[in-house]
Amino acid sequence: MIEHGPLLERLLEGEFICAITDEHSFHKLQNDEMVDDFNHFLRPLNRRVAKNDDGSVYFLAYCDLTQNARQHISHQFANTVQSLLPMLEWMQLVQEALGRDGALSAGDTIKLQDFESKVVDNQSLIQRMSHLANDKVFKSTSDKPDMQIKQIFKRIKELGYLYQPHKDRLFYRVTGKIEQLIELVRFIKDEENLPIDDKTPEQEAMF
Amino acid sequence: MTQSPKQKSTAPSNPLFALGKERLELIGKHADALMQGYLEGRLKESSFSRQGLQKLLDSRVLFYPEEQSLSLRPIVNELIASLTQDERKRQINTDVGEHLDQIDTRVQSLQAARHKGDYAASEHHMQLLTERVNDMTGQFGDAIESLWHRLNTEFGFVSSLDDKMLEIELAQRQLRRILDGFGIINFDDLIQLAGSDGGLRKLLVSQLQARISEHSGSLLEVQKRLVLLMARFRQQQDRALLINRMSAFLRQHPNFQMSDYPNRSQVPAVINHAHGISAQAFIAIDRPQDSYALAELARAVPREPQQHSLSEKQTEGFVMAVQNLVATEQKQLAKDVEDFFIQVIDSPHALSGVDYLAEKELSWEPEMWLFQIVAEYQGLPQQNKQSFMLDKDSAQQSRFNHLHLIQDVTVGMRFFGDFQAAS
Repeated sequence: MIEHGPLLERLLEGEFICAITDEHSFHKLQNDEMVDDFNHFLRPLNRRVAKNDDGSVYFLAYCDLTQNARQHISHQFANTVQSLLPMLEWMQLVQEALGRDGALSAGDTIKLQDFESKVVDNQSLIQRMSHLANDKVFKSTSDKPDMQIKQIFKRIKELGYLYQPHKDRLFYRVTGKIEQLIELVRFIKDEENLPIDDKTPEQEAMF
Repeated sequence: MTQSPKQKSTAPSNPLFALGKERLELIGKHADALMQGYLEGRLKESSFSRQGLQKLLDSRVLFYPEEQSLSLRPIVNELIASLTQDERKRQINTDVGEHLDQIDTRVQSLQAARHKGDYAASEHHMQLLTERVNDMTGQFGDAIESLWHRLNTEFGFVSSLDDKMLEIELAQRQLRRILDGFGIINFDDLIQLAGSDGGLRKLLVSQLQARISEHSGSLLEVQKRLVLLMARFRQQQDRALLINRMSAFLRQHPNFQMSDYPNRSQVPAVINHAHGISAQAFIAIDRPQDSYALAELARAVPREPQQHSLSEKQTEGFVMAVQNLVATEQKQLAKDVEDFFIQVIDSPHALSGVDYLAEKELSWEPEMWLFQIVAEYQGLPQQNKQSFMLDKDSAQQSRFNHLHLIQDVTVGMRFFGDFQAAS
């Protein structure tokens, strides 16, 4: 167990481990026996190793949903819900600006410069981006597009949805945590019976 | 159910009804043979009874086009095509059918030439026949190659996901048409056509079959890839739609309240994420074996990190920078004096300011240096001041006034009203 100390510590700190942020650790967590060992160790801390539906990201979940645990989950859920719309809008913005085929998914790379040059060329994208930057999730105080973009990406990196392989290069990779977010969106849609499954012409046009 | 007796009663009264029904039934009766004819482009008289054939001709289902073999009337062909909803299918089928027809006639001419013993003509016909067969397989080959090409670029020539999916559907239809074309090639017929002629057999049967099976294998692979790509594109589309619709919904309903998932009896797995805990550790000196490592660490700790104002400095103007320079010098002087006092504490005896300055090779002017020591001493809190003793080595400059010039100061710890040791 000694050699897995750093990994356990990162998990305990609430990090999401995926093939993009740390491929080596991710492969370790794909080993069921090792996960059993981890769970045994984590049991007194009321934690276990959990993964999302398609197994693209690992994190710690509570074993027993005690009052305390529920409180923490509530708090986190509230935060996630608050950042939900801004995150979805950001994903749309990136997809449109970079002219991608599909929505962003784990492993996609985004060069900040490319994104910036595409946004700056398009008045409507600038407006949407600056509206997004003023959201309380991103908290940008600047009115310059480049600073707003930097702030947005910085915040999303802090939220764990982006990974910056080199500290001084503005090039990001989308992490597996985004899959978790999409799963949450799908879950909410199903659970709340949101009337968003019907194809309306307007939404089709947007797509 | 209530209408059926009524219909029954009106049916016989209308002669058109009876006739139409009879004709449709006639078509139904010969469905197999007619469909075969539709696919092959011509019919064999032998597949119908004399009576049946006459009936089909009378009811304008079949006809003999000028001096040609028995065929379906164009209107019937169209009926079948529209019922099966595949115009293209008919297109490619007739293409292949045409090839086969021509092969058929070419073989007959070849055999006729051989019969007559016309060697040159038969050679010529054989050449044309080979070309014809190669043409046909070549067409299949080209079609498959174009499919592969499009697959390998993942339909990169169209930009939007929707277009890509349409392209895949198109490719799938094309693939089906090629397969239908394969279906038309009837090797039994070809075997019969080739008869006992070895060369023909090789060309029409073994070579063709090898090519066709090769193409089939390739098509199967294409089909697999198409299905995979389609699944992937659909997934991407689904995701993009989900994101678009959810964000549109949330924008339209800014006050939308979600259920209290965290406090349900069954907390959904998707939100069960434990909060982070950081395991902190502190210096513990209760284990003697750690003392060496801890001491090493303690020694490595930098004395006074003073880097924090760096970023401020960069943003200030030139005037400020000069002021800062002076301030830093002042600070450095104060720090050196502080070091001097520390040295005094560490030292077993009192120290001379001037000696210390020389010993440490500091660049301060002696006058400034001594002044700073005195100032530092005077500036000490009363309690700390009592721990030190400061002795000024000064001389009166003139008999006529009380100007004293300080040559040196000696600082030491106060022990019972005196320096710690005799200086």
